[in-house]
Amino acid sequence: MKRRDDILVGFTIIAALILVVGGAFFLSESQLGQDATFRTARFRTVGGLGVGNPVVLRGVRVGRIDEIRLGDGDWVETILQIYSNVQLPDDPAIIAASASLFGEWQADIISLAEATDDPNVRRDLDAAAAAGDDAWPGATLPDIGQLTAQAGRIASDIAAVSSRVQTAFDSEAVLNLQGSIRDFGEVTDRINQFATSQTEVLSEVGENVRDGAAVLRSAADALESTIARVDAATSAGELDTIVNNTMALSADLRAAAMALRELVAVVQANQASIENIIQGADTVVARLGSGQGTVGRLVGDSTLYIEAVQAIAELRSLVNDIKENPRKYFKFSVF
Amino acid sequence: MQKVITDQVAELLAGFGRLGNFVGDMARSLRDFKVWLGLTAVQMRRIGVDSLPISLLVAAFTGVVLALLSRYIFTGAVPMYFVGTLVGKAIMMELGPVLVCLALAGRVGASIAAELGTMRVTEQVDALETLAYDIQSFLVVPRVIAATLMFPVIVAFAVTAGLLTGWLTSVTLIDLSTVDFLKGLRLFYQFKDIWFGLLKSMSFGFTIALIGCMKGLNTRGGAEGVGRATTQAVVVSAGMILVLDALWAVLLL
Repeated sequence: MKRRDDILVGFTIIAALILVVGGAFFLSESQLGQDATFRTARFRTVGGLGVGNPVVLRGVRVGRIDEIRLGDGDWVETILQIYSNVQLPDDPAIIAASASLFGEWQADIISLAEATDDPNVRRDLDAAAAAGDDAWPGATLPDIGQLTAQAGRIASDIAAVSSRVQTAFDSEAVLNLQGSIRDFGEVTDRINQFATSQTEVLSEVGENVRDGAAVLRSAADALESTIARVDAATSAGELDTIVNNTMALSADLRAAAMALRELVAVVQANQASIENIIQGADTVVARLGSGQGTVGRLVGDSTLYIEAVQAIAELRSLVNDIKENPRKYFKFSVF
Repeated sequence: MQKVITDQVAELLAGFGRLGNFVGDMARSLRDFKVWLGLTAVQMRRIGVDSLPISLLVAAFTGVVLALLSRYIFTGAVPMYFVGTLVGKAIMMELGPVLVCLALAGRVGASIAAELGTMRVTEQVDALETLAYDIQSFLVVPRVIAATLMFPVIVAFAVTAGLLTGWLTSVTLIDLSTVDFLKGLRLFYQFKDIWFGLLKSMSFGFTIALIGCMKGLNTRGGAEGVGRATTQAVVVSAGMILVLDALWAVLLL
């Protein structure tokens, strides 16, 4: 009986030990018989990360948090147990973040070059990397509690604003608001009427625009055909001829301008004699105007003209008389 | 009224004094290991192995109820895999040790108190003392050591049973997959979850056996006294379990 008791008790105790040890390994997902490496990550704060939390690489569990301790220089050192058959990035970094909204945390292995653009995360990673030795840099994303606290502060601000609005929104403000709403109704009616009338105008404008568009379309067609012709002319060499002619014309004009410049130069050279000629002519004209000299007197006195007319009239009558009575003036004899 | 209160306080202090003396006597008797060592295995079988069925029954149904209760609580936003978390944490850290030890307080504590009380009122204890047997090393130490060692063993089995029935209930009654249950079970697991429950159960076993022995050896007044001692042993043990439970929570959590 005594031996049976001993065996029974011993068996029970051993079975309980196996249960406890096996259960502990099973629940902690310890990799028995699998080699593991231990690496240190450095954080400013680990947030909700705890011992036993998973270490994941691209979403796949590759280890667990083995230890978390306070380090020198206000750092938190986290020991990661990583299965040895895992291919890690060349420049690994750790991001501690909530795995869900319910307080689960995990350490995500990333490449430092591919870290998020979040300035806070980048700053933490750079600071941890600059701290030296071979510890991996780590950063922590805000958890839902921090986000909720931020939302709480925003809600408080909104509540304060609402309170102020409520304070400002007294009965007089209500009456004013009612009046404003009434006025706004009237304004709306007017706007409605205006809109109705303007709609008709806009319809006409629309038709005009449509007509204008048609005209523009035809003009565009014409322009297109013109461009086509120009293009055809260009392609046929006519434009080249015009350009060549224009160039020749320009050359002629340039020569004419040169000749004109030479002429002007000659004129400038003879300017003194021309001025003398003009001065002499001016003197002659002045003497003519003053009736000096024979020509001046001829110009200023009409007697010569009258006498000349009379002489012409007498000459014409003489001629006529000669025609009518030639024998009176001429006498021919042959023999 | 004042006298009544004074008497009660004095009795309470005297009770602590008797308990201190009793523990001191027991500690001194530990030197007689040749006496108590041979008797301990029998007590371990009686206190531990024989208590397994009732412990497994309590824990198994606790696991079922916890799983269903979790399903009832986690409606809406909370993912159902938290059923595994709640079942695991509650069974390992609280309900497993406390409920099982409360049940064992009735079975083991009452058994010890009744056995020793009967020995006292039938003067068997007096006969042993007359024959120069050390009562502490012959009757008390084997029971206390057996309970202290075997309660964690019983609780380990009970926790396993509770987790298994919780998993079975989750899979069969609340349509939760095994993967999800294990995910929740492992989610916030720490080794402390296990040793915390086992440490508590060890302290509970020590307390239950100690109180049972003390109440039994102090029995007076025949069969009625045995009944009264048995009842007191269960009540005080149950109360002490809850007090110790709170104490461990304050100290270790």
